Amino acid sequence: MARYGIVVDVARCTGCMTCMVACKEENRTRPGIWWNKVFQIENDVSGSIVYIRHACMHCDLPPCMDACSQKAIYKRPDGIVLIDETKCRGDGDCVLACPYDAIEINSDQVYFSEWGVSDEDVSLINRIHPPGKASKCNFCVHRIDKGKEPACVESCPSTAMTFGDLDDPDSPVQQKRRQPVPLLNHQKFRPNVSYMIPEPIDPISR
Amino acid sequence: MSDLEKMKKNGGPLSVGYTFCDGCNEAPFCGMKFYQSVDGIIRIEPWPHFPAAPLCSKAFATVQRLKNPGRLLYPLKRTRPKDAGDPGFTRISWDEAYDIITAHLQQIKKNYSPHHVFFYVGDPKEPRAAVQRLAVTYGSANYGCESSTACRRAAQLAELLTYGFPTLGNLPTDETGVMLIWGTNPAHSGQPFMCHGHLADAKDRGVKFIVVDPRKTPTVTTLADIHLQVRPGTTAALAAGIMYVIFKEELYDRSFCENWIHGLQQLMAYVKQFPPERVENITWVPARKIVKAARLYAGNGPGGLLTSAQGTTHDLNATNNHRSLLMIPAICGYIDIPGGIIKPTEPLEGMAGPWADGPPDFSLRKQLLAMNTYRLDRKAFPLWAEKMFEVQTNHIVEWIHQGKIKAFLGWGVNMMIWPQTHEYQEAIASLDFSMAVDYFYRPQTHRFVDMVLPAAMNFERLAPFAVHGRRIFGRTPIQPAGEAREDWQIALEIGTRLGYPETFFNGDVEVACNNILKLWGITYDDLREHQEEGILVPAKGQPIYHKYKTGDMRPDGKPGFNTPSGKIEAVSTDLERYGYPGLPEFKEPMQTNAEYPLVLISGARVPFITHSKWREDAPWLLELQREALLSIHPKNAAENNIHSGDMVRLKTPFGEMTVKATSTIMVVAGVVSIMHGWADANVNELIPRQFDPVSGFPPYKEVVCSVAKI
Repeated sequence: MARYGIVVDVARCTGCMTCMVACKEENRTRPGIWWNKVFQIENDVSGSIVYIRHACMHCDLPPCMDACSQKAIYKRPDGIVLIDETKCRGDGDCVLACPYDAIEINSDQVYFSEWGVSDEDVSLINRIHPPGKASKCNFCVHRIDKGKEPACVESCPSTAMTFGDLDDPDSPVQQKRRQPVPLLNHQKFRPNVSYMIPEPIDPISR
Repeated sequence: MSDLEKMKKNGGPLSVGYTFCDGCNEAPFCGMKFYQSVDGIIRIEPWPHFPAAPLCSKAFATVQRLKNPGRLLYPLKRTRPKDAGDPGFTRISWDEAYDIITAHLQQIKKNYSPHHVFFYVGDPKEPRAAVQRLAVTYGSANYGCESSTACRRAAQLAELLTYGFPTLGNLPTDETGVMLIWGTNPAHSGQPFMCHGHLADAKDRGVKFIVVDPRKTPTVTTLADIHLQVRPGTTAALAAGIMYVIFKEELYDRSFCENWIHGLQQLMAYVKQFPPERVENITWVPARKIVKAARLYAGNGPGGLLTSAQGTTHDLNATNNHRSLLMIPAICGYIDIPGGIIKPTEPLEGMAGPWADGPPDFSLRKQLLAMNTYRLDRKAFPLWAEKMFEVQTNHIVEWIHQGKIKAFLGWGVNMMIWPQTHEYQEAIASLDFSMAVDYFYRPQTHRFVDMVLPAAMNFERLAPFAVHGRRIFGRTPIQPAGEAREDWQIALEIGTRLGYPETFFNGDVEVACNNILKLWGITYDDLREHQEEGILVPAKGQPIYHKYKTGDMRPDGKPGFNTPSGKIEAVSTDLERYGYPGLPEFKEPMQTNAEYPLVLISGARVPFITHSKWREDAPWLLELQREALLSIHPKNAAENNIHSGDMVRLKTPFGEMTVKATSTIMVVAGVVSIMHGWADANVNELIPRQFDPVSGFPPYKEVVCSVAKI
């Protein structure tokens, strides 16, 4: 069975936010909800600036899953962590449990509401992203099931992200030169998204 | 089932279409393939085989912009006076709109002259060819655009004066050893297109990068081997310092220089005044870095170049600053060699310059140039008026006050482009008639005009088609929203109503396109038949290099460069002819002082915004940044007790405003940076109406300022 993951080459990420908006276009999340985020991180001392793209890490041991009293979060055999919205009550335990801040609770807001949105449109968005329920990156599971990459990976203008099967030695994710590392205390969660951190720069030469 | 499929309310098959993004203002833009259901366009992806790719955040957001309920859907006419708070815009029919426009145009032609009407194209650039045709047929010599106000043309003028051909440099090839990226941030502003991936690949191949920028951009952090963090406005001093080292250490291409550079001795003598230690004092760049950069660039050839359309020309020494940096690759002999700076061997027949301006025959360029004596910019900027067919617009305020302009017809106008914006708003409001075509009602511009016309968006336009090199692509428009019409159609219909139905193809956009396409023996139907892959107009031969030796640089077929001397002009004979200094001399920018200790730069791009567009057009992008942010270095922030998120008073000798500050090492200490184009924090109100004497460009990146916490 596949175990899907992403390797992010931080040295290639420019913080252009294309992955964020491509995700919006693909998944039509509610106002203010960003499944996929990019942070600019600066170090005043070394003078370095890096951009970290960040979303659900689809952990092997997802703390969100354990935290949910309704058992609304499940993991597919291929590693993708999903929320069953019919079971979710929006208690928010998963939001607190996630060390990566990757889960939010849907509001009832819709885009362009100030212009008056039709009842039909509102009921549609309510069906896709039910208000009051937990919401997070689903790895574009509908795309993966059709053999495509997640929208964020496919859209990256700088090809900073590589998607593939972490258990497949021929997968493009294995072709990366430097060993990628997950973020934070990974032993407890074993995230499937990991990062190639740039070599320390020499501030004198730059 | 995907969310998108769930969103298809009525089911049914998806149809496929093709268009270009107009998210930034390059033309032709990046290609998009779109999928349409009964609910309209639901998804886009990069157009396979299209040369301009990949897509960025702005392209993805065009899907949301298309459905923005705030779009202009009908022609609007002002019903209340210009000084009224509410213009009272009222819906009118297209017939009424055209009747009003043509009545004004005919009246002005009769009472004054056709040159009293100013034609303007802002952003997007798409309608340029059609609007030029309209201006010339009507009889006005006064056509200008955003490029001839503050964008590409000053650098282009410098390139023509120096090299004899326009260039922003080239992407690195397999031959390239080192790249010089000066004043541009291709990681965010995409010149050309979203090319950062290509540059990162080149770095992986071992290409070295020197990046010159006052900001620590992602281009610097992901690519630079050497970052020269330069004081704004001192380009010519830094370039002279680099050339000082290259000449002194005899790293220059002696044979190329002696044969192909006019004014070599004067240049050598001039840069002798710029040893690295002095240049460090002027530019803030450490002397050892200048030496290192010079050695790397001259010693690791072939060297390439990427410059900005305008990053180095937003100061009062614009033309010479840009000319000076162009001399660095020239003295290294990197011109028109593989891996260096290339003039295309066989540009598409019938074209002269960028595709956005259209083929000269269609745009009636010859007829426009024949009216040159009626141009309003001839007196202030004579060399510009000789070399550039578009009018330099920055003096439009004076021309209106002097009664030399009576009406203004604009497509994609944004009055915030001009320094001291309010003077332009007031001047245009005082005209007999003014008109603007746009997607949305934008108060900072439209409050001051008499009529606003609704433009069809990128998915709804047939014209123009795209030309990339020698390959041509058509598009498959959907029905425009409301009564919106595409830019070209509006220009063609005005021309038809003015009494020139044949010249304007009775308003038929496709017939107009076919009139151009016949240059290459094809029609729009042919483009439809080859929709995805486009049609390649074959070249006669292979690309050739060293064209200055073969005679392929000059229209007369003689060897040499297309300049008066036939050489690259370190000393410009054109500039000398008009009494300007011939060398690319350094001029000290405005001086900081106790009252104004910092330098203010604007214009640096945010990757998901172009100019003032996208603030409200697509909420996805607005959520990424909701308000203007002033970037200030942590050292300067601490000195002024400013923390990220604080509101501050930004003040220059020419104006002041309140804005939110963000402390970041992205800017060099001593400089603050802000994105232009925020209507409620319009930085151009803080910029003086002072202009580079050659190009007429304003000092958007030079003015001194102070920042105080409120």
